[in-house]
Amino acid sequence: MSVRDLAGTQIRFSDLLRMLVLDVESQEVGRVHDARFVKDGPVQGAFGPGYRLQGLVVGTGSFGARLGFDRASVKGPWPLKAMFRRLHANAKFVDWSQIDSIDGERIRLNVPAASLRPVEPLPS
Amino acid sequence: MTDVAKRVIDAGLNLLDRQIIDKDGMMSGNVDDLELTVPEEGGPPVITAILAGPGALARRLGARSGAWLESLHVRLHPSEQPGPARIAFGVVKRVADHVEITVSRSDLDVSRFEKWVRKHVIGKIPGARA
Repeated sequence: MSVRDLAGTQIRFSDLLRMLVLDVESQEVGRVHDARFVKDGPVQGAFGPGYRLQGLVVGTGSFGARLGFDRASVKGPWPLKAMFRRLHANAKFVDWSQIDSIDGERIRLNVPAASLRPVEPLPS
Repeated sequence: MTDVAKRVIDAGLNLLDRQIIDKDGMMSGNVDDLELTVPEEGGPPVITAILAGPGALARRLGARSGAWLESLHVRLHPSEQPGPARIAFGVVKRVADHVEITVSRSDLDVSRFEKWVRKHVIGKIPGARA
């Protein structure tokens, strides 16, 4: 389903996790490890501006990603951080505007994998 | 986590599996999943609700254990087609090491399911207190 056709629909966050991501040439980029949100969306009652999806964290390895050791902003034992950061060195950030369609278990992009930027650390 | 950091979050890292604390400081379950809504006018999805309880967790557990938990949830739940317990994001007060909400746990769907199980399942076991 094209992202344009998703208007008005609901998605479960868990459905996005571990989805396979393919670039515009059907080359495998990796699987969704996480999703980055920015608090500048429509107002959600007492919470104020809601969390709007900025993009997806996509990588090839998954071990350690759930604990965040692949992201520089997460604190932890340095040997584990170093090991997991090396394992996830090729993790990419997929901006929402770079997604063409979401079908079942797959996300197709409208750009080549080479144009994706690395994942920036969360603000500390 | 500073206020600036809370402006940007990785949902799996900063929100999923966090403890939910109600307005009276009582533990009210965990963030087991999130409901994202794509605006009618299009554009990126927005987090509109926290999903909690076995109905939300089942999908994350994978094929066999997830299906087992979901069928147990459906069998035990008083509704005919129970969905996961939903907490609108509008009642969230703060996202930090835990998630603070502005309502009481007794007003949540997740609590209603617990009460039903206590009354109709646990309460029927010989020796259970009323």
